[in-house]
Amino acid sequence: MIRLRVYLLLSGILFSIGVAGVTTSRNVLKILLSLELLLAASNLSFVAFSRFNGDYTGQLIVFFVILVAAAEVAIGLAIIVLMYRHFSTIQADALKDLKW
Amino acid sequence: MSSFFFYLFATVLIFASLAVVLARNPLYNVLALVVVIFSLASLFMLLEAFFVGIILLLVYAGAVLVFFLFVVMCLNLNAPTFTTIEQSRFRSLGWLMGLTFLTEFFLAVKSFLAAQAIEPSSIRGTIEIIGKILFTDYLLPFELTSLLLLIAVFGIVSLAKGALKT
Repeated sequence: MIRLRVYLLLSGILFSIGVAGVTTSRNVLKILLSLELLLAASNLSFVAFSRFNGDYTGQLIVFFVILVAAAEVAIGLAIIVLMYRHFSTIQADALKDLKW
Repeated sequence: MSSFFFYLFATVLIFASLAVVLARNPLYNVLALVVVIFSLASLFMLLEAFFVGIILLLVYAGAVLVFFLFVVMCLNLNAPTFTTIEQSRFRSLGWLMGLTFLTEFFLAVKSFLAAQAIEPSSIRGTIEIIGKILFTDYLLPFELTSLLLLIAVFGIVSLAKGALKT
């Protein structure tokens, strides 16, 4: 039987890879994908805690996290498309000014 | 048997998430994230969280990642600026940060849970149970989520209209 700490360790590995992806990449699309990795890692630990504590609240929180992430991705991708139209690049370095 | 499947999906999860971060082509990044979501949903099934696993597959692999793919296809992949995006100047610092997080997680998990071995409880996250809780105790957050999605739709429409004007 897999124990709780194995799940938490897996979630920690996933989170660390996500953090490294957010900080190392310049591509805005890749930063958004790495953010999805961070959310997936937190979802995994929520579900694992829910299972091992016998409480359904963790699974409900995962449900809400998925919904909020869907809204976040929709708006983030709209901003990326606008950024590509304006700068014709999606490097994060292009966003230097507060007003374009 | 279930531990075999756990280690299988965990290995796939780790390698696919590395591919999300390391692959050069944005299309491969998105497809690797699809693999990540599929193996994560399998892990949820192993944890008997059936409803959340199915929702993860439907919403993430079905809608969000297809949306990502559409955007990758909309942007011009062959443009030289797209394929030659170099890595950040703080690349080594970023990997160091990830490594620090990893050691911190390792130490935290080790110190918290070394003493007690928590046994899994016999809960099953079926649609019936989750639905009952969702529509009684968590009704207000559920309704607020619909408001949030409505606001997101407004935001996207206003962004797109502003783009059409200029």
